Amino acid sequence: MAKISALKQPNTFCALDGYDPGKFYCELLGDSNQPDATIAPLWQCLETSELSILKQRASDAERELFNLGITFTVYTEKDAIDRILPFDVIPRVISASVWAKVEAGVKQRVKALNLFLHDIYHERHILNDGIVPAQLVLSNSCYRPEMIGLDLPCGTYIHINGTDIVRDRQGEMLVLEDNGRSPSGVSYVVENRHLMQRAFPDLMQGMNIRPVSDYGKRLLGKLREVAPTGVDDPCVVLLSPGIYNSAYFEHVFLAREMGVTLVEGGDLFVENDRVFAHTINGLVQVDVVYRRINDDYLDPTAFNPTSMLGVPGLLRAVQRGRVTLANAIGTGVADDKAIYAYVPRIIRYYLNEDPILASVETHICGEPGGLAHTLANLDRLVLKPVGESGGYGIVIGPKSSKSELEDAAAKLRADPGNFISQPMIELSVSPTLVEQGARARHVDLRPYAITGRDTWVLPGGLTRVALKEGSLIVNSSQGGGTKDTWVLAGDQ
Amino acid sequence: MRLLSRNAEALFWLARYLERGASLARVIEMQSSFGAHDQEQGWSWLLALHSDEERFKERFEVSSRNIATFYVTDLSNPGSVRSSIHWARENARALRPFIPIEMWVQLNAFHGSVEALAADDISLSQLPRTCAVIRAGCLAQIGIAEGTLFRDEGYQFFKLGLLVERADQTSRLLDVKYAHAMTNSKTRDLSDDFVFWSTILRTAAAYQVFHRLEAKGADLERVSRFLIFNPSHPRSLGFCVREISESLHTLRHSFRLSRANKCLEECEVMMEGLHDMGRNTELAAHLHEFNNWVQTSLGTLTDTLSSAFFTRSRPGALEAEAAQSQSQSQGQTQTQTQSQSSVPAPGLQKQDQNQS
Repeated sequence: MAKISALKQPNTFCALDGYDPGKFYCELLGDSNQPDATIAPLWQCLETSELSILKQRASDAERELFNLGITFTVYTEKDAIDRILPFDVIPRVISASVWAKVEAGVKQRVKALNLFLHDIYHERHILNDGIVPAQLVLSNSCYRPEMIGLDLPCGTYIHINGTDIVRDRQGEMLVLEDNGRSPSGVSYVVENRHLMQRAFPDLMQGMNIRPVSDYGKRLLGKLREVAPTGVDDPCVVLLSPGIYNSAYFEHVFLAREMGVTLVEGGDLFVENDRVFAHTINGLVQVDVVYRRINDDYLDPTAFNPTSMLGVPGLLRAVQRGRVTLANAIGTGVADDKAIYAYVPRIIRYYLNEDPILASVETHICGEPGGLAHTLANLDRLVLKPVGESGGYGIVIGPKSSKSELEDAAAKLRADPGNFISQPMIELSVSPTLVEQGARARHVDLRPYAITGRDTWVLPGGLTRVALKEGSLIVNSSQGGGTKDTWVLAGDQ
Repeated sequence: MRLLSRNAEALFWLARYLERGASLARVIEMQSSFGAHDQEQGWSWLLALHSDEERFKERFEVSSRNIATFYVTDLSNPGSVRSSIHWARENARALRPFIPIEMWVQLNAFHGSVEALAADDISLSQLPRTCAVIRAGCLAQIGIAEGTLFRDEGYQFFKLGLLVERADQTSRLLDVKYAHAMTNSKTRDLSDDFVFWSTILRTAAAYQVFHRLEAKGADLERVSRFLIFNPSHPRSLGFCVREISESLHTLRHSFRLSRANKCLEECEVMMEGLHDMGRNTELAAHLHEFNNWVQTSLGTLTDTLSSAFFTRSRPGALEAEAAQSQSQSQGQTQTQTQSQSSVPAPGLQKQDQNQS
């Protein structure tokens, strides 16, 4: 591998010494597997950074995250413990041309999913035409009959979307999953950048990185676009489950960056199908609610009656068009792992275009062919329960023992409709600072798209990294960390 | 949007817990620095100060060490320094979208250092230093608020919390020390008296200024008058009540909150009561009665503030439409009780009840 050895100081152990991506696609070195001109300043800086000093700076940076309260909360039986999401100082870099494709692909996907949601809650053309099995949609637990026939402002259901993307051994970007309910993590995109700017300005020098810090203002703009008809200066709030929610920091961050009030269910009140907030001067009407509470808990009179987090009567206010929820109720059916397999067809159906971003080949175990193929190849496939999130319940065939596979097969036979399977993707790697120095660790990417009248994609995204050697599971709940994600500005 | 009722309440309690933490740390710091010669028995007055005798004796033997633990690091004691800082942080956490980041960062790091206190840190030899650090941490937060918190309605609720708590602490201190002075008056000699009054003055952060102003030295009458009426000492009752009144006037007039009217009425009653007491020639004889009245009045004022501004129950929230919403108010009241319990105010209600 190329080294700029002239710059390297003798007798010191530098961060990149011994880095080897092996057979995987390296995010930093790219197609040529060589540091090219676009990343030269960063590469040189890492090449000449002494490992012990870089590690010390990294641990200082993590302590700063803790003091700033950029944390999520883990609950044990006894305590609530604030933890930081481990932060890796070596950024993930995306070139302008790769990003252009990601951006266009994400926009296309979000557009198609919004059209799909509108359709399945109205005329159901796509079901009647037999493109997507009606039963898969209509009997899906995330399908909400309460939304049938409602016309939403701008036809937008998914206002905030996170698309999970992985890169295979050839460097091809593949969509792994859509997150159209209440995707989290965007606060880390912005806070990671701020941390980088404060703590590692030297790494950023000479790099032409597109900014991410205007996300809040952009989001507020989109949310104002979808205010109920006739409201010129909408009152926007962020609805959080409150301080005991593990993502509370993100809610704080978003409210702060948008400059809107963070409310809890108890702060809101519905009367005459209008939503109000309790202030020291009485009730103030609310027009747009960015809610970070799942459908089930939104309104105890309509959904889960034991919910303490929601607002009684909120659904009726939505149905009367008096308030806009972002995201809309019932979007979960579009990001369901079972529907995922049909998204390329959904894109062609509504947009008459080929998907810009490829998907991972998916076998639907609810279908006889899919089940047979999955059972026959379980040791080579990744088996995923359709209803779970956070990486729970996933069985990675090639990494499982024989008894684990038998176990999985039994569960699969008992409830085939609850599973899909996919080939194992050899996720790309990125140099990541660990005890011995920079080592190859697997990463994914979650770009965020926000939609009002149209869609804007944040030029960056959350890069999650599986910190354990060889691990493919990047979820924070399973020992994943994050990296700053640098989208490079093009020549134009 | 105007300030959420929930945030107004959290600002009020954030300030109260900070002031309480600072106050209590000062009390223990002074006790362990200047009152230590009194030994075991001398620490019991702390239990009287917070009306905690019963609660304490159910769990512990009376000893200086146990009392110090109970008031500094015992999280199961809602009135301990650690509890105060814990609840200050919980309130601040709810206020994170509202307060400056500088406030959160200091309180978060400070809370971490209090959580890390070990048994050694509260040994009698380390106690003064530990308490000084805690006091400084609380005061730093109050100072950061002073320097960075935006002066809208929210700031007035923060200020009200500080002042109500401070007035309450000064009144309790006077009351307990008065009782102590009465029981021991016959057995003490003058030099003991000097130490006794000096400790009280230090506990109320008034030692230096008192001696600068009062050439005749400290006695019950002069110390009481100073701590009740001095218009310029920030911990005197008169000062606190006057500033409370100013804050309420600001809410009423600058922020046009007619709901402040009832609180202003309560505050005026207190000012009149103070005025009457000032003309009373037999102050010492009525001191206990007076302090009871002060503490009850502060409780009433807090309740009035709460029902005017913090309550999220439906009736009264929007006067114009109150009549037509009777049926819905029930469900909302329930929600309110549940959500309020997420930022509870332990200890205080209990203390107030005991006092009245």
